[in-house]
Amino acid sequence: MTGRARARARGRPPGQETAIPSVGAASVQQTLPSQPPGRQQPQQPHVPPSASEEPGGRGRQRGPQSVPQDFKTIGLQISAGFQELSLADRGGRRRDFYDLGVNTRQAIEHVQESKTGSSGSMIKLTANYFRLTSRPQWALYQYHVGYSPEMEARRLRSALLFQHEELIGKTHAFDGSILFLPKKLGNKVTEVTSRTRNGEDVKITITLTNELPPTSPTCLQFYNIIFRRLLKMLNLQQIGRNYYNPSDPISIPNHRLMVWPGFTSSILQYEESIMLCTDVSHKVLRSETVLDFMYSLYYQVGEERFRDTCAKELIGLIVLTKYNNKTYRVDDMDWDANPQCTFRKADGSEISYVDYYKRQYNQEITDLNQPVLISQSKRKRGGMVPGPVVLIPELCFLTGLTEKMRNDFNMMKDLAIHTRLPPEQRQREIGRLSDYIQKDDSVQKELRDWGLSFDSNLLSLTGRVVQGERILQSGNVFDYNPQIADWSKETRGTPLISAKPLDNWLLIYTRRNYDIANILVQNLFKVTPSMGIRMNKATMIEVDDRTEAYLRGLQQSVTPDTNIVFCILSSSRKDKYDAIKKYLCTDCPVPSQCVIARTLSKPQTALAVVTKIALQMNCKMGGELWSVEIPLKQVMIVGIDCYHDTLSGKQSIAGFVSSLNQTMTRWFSRCAVQGRGQELVDGLKACLQTALREWFKWNKYLPSRIIVYRDGVGDGQLNTLVNYEVPQFLDCLKSVGKDYNPRLTVIVVKKRVSTRFFAQYGGTLRNPPPGTVVDVEVTRPEWYDFYIVSQAVRTGCVAPTHYNVIYDTSKLKPDHVQRLTYKLCHMYYNWSGVIRVPAPCQYAHKLAFLVGQSIHREPNLVLSDRLYYL
Amino acid sequence: MDKNFQEEQFTGIIKFTPPLYKQRYQFIKDLVEKYKPKKVADLGCADCTLLWMLKFCSCIEVLAGLDICASVMKEKMHRLSPLPVDYLQPPERSLTVTLHHGSVAHKDPCMLGFDLVTCIELIEHLEESELKKFPEVVFGFMAPSLVVISTPNSEFNPLLPGVTLFRHPDHKFEWNRVQFQSWALEIARHYGYSVEFTGVGHPPRGMENVGFCTQIGVFVRKYTQTSESAQSETPTEGVYKTVFRAVYPSLKDEKYLQNAVVSEVIFTAQIIKRRLLDRLMSEHEEYNDDTTERKSKFQPLMNCFSEDLGKLVVEKSMEPFVKGSVVYIPLTTIFSFPKVIQLCGTFEKLCKLIAGKVTLSSDGSAMMFNTEHE
Repeated sequence: MTGRARARARGRPPGQETAIPSVGAASVQQTLPSQPPGRQQPQQPHVPPSASEEPGGRGRQRGPQSVPQDFKTIGLQISAGFQELSLADRGGRRRDFYDLGVNTRQAIEHVQESKTGSSGSMIKLTANYFRLTSRPQWALYQYHVGYSPEMEARRLRSALLFQHEELIGKTHAFDGSILFLPKKLGNKVTEVTSRTRNGEDVKITITLTNELPPTSPTCLQFYNIIFRRLLKMLNLQQIGRNYYNPSDPISIPNHRLMVWPGFTSSILQYEESIMLCTDVSHKVLRSETVLDFMYSLYYQVGEERFRDTCAKELIGLIVLTKYNNKTYRVDDMDWDANPQCTFRKADGSEISYVDYYKRQYNQEITDLNQPVLISQSKRKRGGMVPGPVVLIPELCFLTGLTEKMRNDFNMMKDLAIHTRLPPEQRQREIGRLSDYIQKDDSVQKELRDWGLSFDSNLLSLTGRVVQGERILQSGNVFDYNPQIADWSKETRGTPLISAKPLDNWLLIYTRRNYDIANILVQNLFKVTPSMGIRMNKATMIEVDDRTEAYLRGLQQSVTPDTNIVFCILSSSRKDKYDAIKKYLCTDCPVPSQCVIARTLSKPQTALAVVTKIALQMNCKMGGELWSVEIPLKQVMIVGIDCYHDTLSGKQSIAGFVSSLNQTMTRWFSRCAVQGRGQELVDGLKACLQTALREWFKWNKYLPSRIIVYRDGVGDGQLNTLVNYEVPQFLDCLKSVGKDYNPRLTVIVVKKRVSTRFFAQYGGTLRNPPPGTVVDVEVTRPEWYDFYIVSQAVRTGCVAPTHYNVIYDTSKLKPDHVQRLTYKLCHMYYNWSGVIRVPAPCQYAHKLAFLVGQSIHREPNLVLSDRLYYL
Repeated sequence: MDKNFQEEQFTGIIKFTPPLYKQRYQFIKDLVEKYKPKKVADLGCADCTLLWMLKFCSCIEVLAGLDICASVMKEKMHRLSPLPVDYLQPPERSLTVTLHHGSVAHKDPCMLGFDLVTCIELIEHLEESELKKFPEVVFGFMAPSLVVISTPNSEFNPLLPGVTLFRHPDHKFEWNRVQFQSWALEIARHYGYSVEFTGVGHPPRGMENVGFCTQIGVFVRKYTQTSESAQSETPTEGVYKTVFRAVYPSLKDEKYLQNAVVSEVIFTAQIIKRRLLDRLMSEHEEYNDDTTERKSKFQPLMNCFSEDLGKLVVEKSMEPFVKGSVVYIPLTTIFSFPKVIQLCGTFEKLCKLIAGKVTLSSDGSAMMFNTEHE
């Protein structure tokens, strides 16, 4: 619904809604209107965020939640204090965003020598990477610094240590106990004496603990810290994890938005060298405060729905405070509190928020009756239990986009002009960072002092373009234009592989849409014959435009023989859609198609839209559209994706989809709804079990290979996957039978990567064509991983998808795994073209999204062999 | 400010709440609130904490810090950078923050023209030769209208545990009240200032005779400077090294003002346009079987207006109108919005600022919106 058919008719492939570069930190998928979040009274002490607090707020960290957080990640010796020292940034969280130290390749025997594929033609590429070089024999010297008598305060420890700058040198990094130096001190153990303010002599012992080679994990973290220091020196503003340039903002006054250009950066060990990966990032800021936003909401929805709407719109958003450079996630709102409430300061005195902000930051709070926002800080600091942070709406600015804004086509269009940079321009912007670094004297000095330098040119490398697939449809074979990776024209008018008849179907509409309904039926009669779909006249049901009326219509008219229900909705009201979907997916399992009247009303696009809808309906009823050649036999493909519902009770939903036949045209689906404190993997195990049973029913034997494409894994969660999820899959397979021993491959699919490739055509840069595979240079040595650019984009830069084979007993050649993956990107039936991820992942995403947004529990299994969730 | 100075019952251990350094900073902040200086310099600014506190004072337009040690300044200097919000809603006032590396014994023209110069716990760190030059540099050369000097009161030292000679090993001296006051009075007399003595850190009850823990002299220049006579021997060359400089966005800067005005104008015009279209549409569309839904859909566009604004727009001469598929919104309508008036001041300024940034009718009297695509 919500104009998806329209979007497809316009030619926006699925999975590309996210192709707008990471705009803002606002988390997606927030507009669930279900019950308002439980308003727990936040416990004392209420604390306004002071300089000493760290917010935990970040959106988008998704993945198996509540899995034991037992990170035995190696090489993370850099302490929390260190990161703060160097950047005063929000480092310190021990989470390893880069999944360092997860070495999965070593366990996969057949890729020890080589993990590269071979097929396809070579293509010259540039990637958004810069090599980091250090002078020969470079090492980082790590010292432990001890004090006798023991000194507590970090500042004092630093002050005392740096009384000996002539010994240590000007270039150093110190967190209070660990000291990094670019040079080696004369002795392994050095003892010096310093005097405190009180005239007390303190003995300081500096002991060499480590000589770190440039490639050690600690060094990598260290590089990142240094690099962030450099960004700061360049006067870039840190927001969240990235740095932005506020001096040249793009303002979009129509929507009160401001976009700051900036950079993401990370330095890691890649296949052959240590490199800086940097990409353009855009931060969307809004020039209105939360209070302004609340006022306008109030005028919109009125008194009655005000609180609920506020909660719905605001909770989960990231706000930026007026008085410091920190972002917080809004977790709750406290309507019983207001700025005149008091809190206890660290020194024990009570003060009201109004007075506090006036005195501390000279910030006037004018509306004394506003509620307050609550942010649960997740981090522990200095042994203190993190308490809720209280924020005043008037002093907070909104950042990022709300779901409502994302659905505003015009707005996203306005935004895309600025954020979707074509390859040439993107490369130029990335080059600007390099320029800044090369041209700034103090930055160069800092780098020189540490003995480091960056290449000034982007990395050049070679990729391969594998040949396009041939589309098979009812005995016909089609080649498609590889540049646009779309075959809707080619296959038009060709019978489908399997067409399901519309013998008995319902069409529900309101009186106002009577004409539209009739035109729809006429148009369906026009387009279905060539597809091979047999069709009878619909049972037409006219209802009032109320949710109950629709439901009553359904209850009265749906019979066991009903093939499909078609609902024409007069608006994109979500509650109506949700109610219909919920009823028809759980209580009364029948495939359904909901379309907004407006989508059907434009004569010039009507036929194109109806064609797409007919195809979609056919899939929902269990029909098959096309296939590609898949040489691998007896293989079951699984796709998994997650939806995280942060609003209603924080449940997560995993969509699970598995193939049922050799041609990968039919898919079984289930989903696992994971409540608080449950482990997602338990549900997945059950899903896999039923999937195998279903496969057996269809094929009369069990698959000899299982290939899992696992999407929805957040940064830093790889370890959990390797250590918990994969063993559970293996357990599950073992439990099927003693002599059942299929080969398992688990591939982690990641869409949100900052890697970008540019293809060199003569003097210009373009997007690499669909089918571009990269498995050298920018991959990680400890992984069996590769990138595929499978889709084509019309605007901006194409984002490659990262595939990481974390477990593999298939003994399949890397080339075959890459080819199979690319083939599967052709199999998504809601788009007659190649998409960003293998079809099962996109199916799993659709399923999880439908369940998470509308149904909230597992759909009826009667539907499980059809693509009813499209 | 008395309530800031709560001393504990004297138990042998002196503990100040809030801590003494905070009381010193608060003292300066209160002084700033009272005298509203525009240009403030902090000599011996160390880790810039005082400067950071002062940047929130809305009267200050120029802040400068000076310290002999560059690394201590650099450690936390980035918190003197503008915040994202300063760019999102640039304030009226302008603010420039600069940090200099140098000595108070040297003159640098960048320190001229200040209203307030603070020297918090500075003089006791000066070598004798530096201390000798200090009055001439601060009072003779910089010659601000207000100088604040704080230094430890050595009479208080016996009450501080563990203090044998000085409170800090780097202190070159610590004076008692008489020593400080006679030094200060001599300076005041020589350079034409009046001085008042006060302090922070009350002594415990029964020990009042030792005086404040920190003694403070507040110097006020007696005559407003008419000629630049005092600076006749102005050194033309700067000896300080600038280590940090941040220019805050402000509406005084045409670039930010224009941004703000254009944003505001387009945003308000959009609302007017929407309202006009909705009204026309609802007049047009007589039958309407779903009133609730329409309402929820269209009302948002009417928000953001206070009542009187709504009325203003309705006035005849200013009324926006539709011709074909184009909506015209007279600039006079737009100029009736308080926020726009406040930003631009005059109608001419408005026209000048939005020129080229929005689409205007051929006579330039109205904004045009094409509604064909909606």
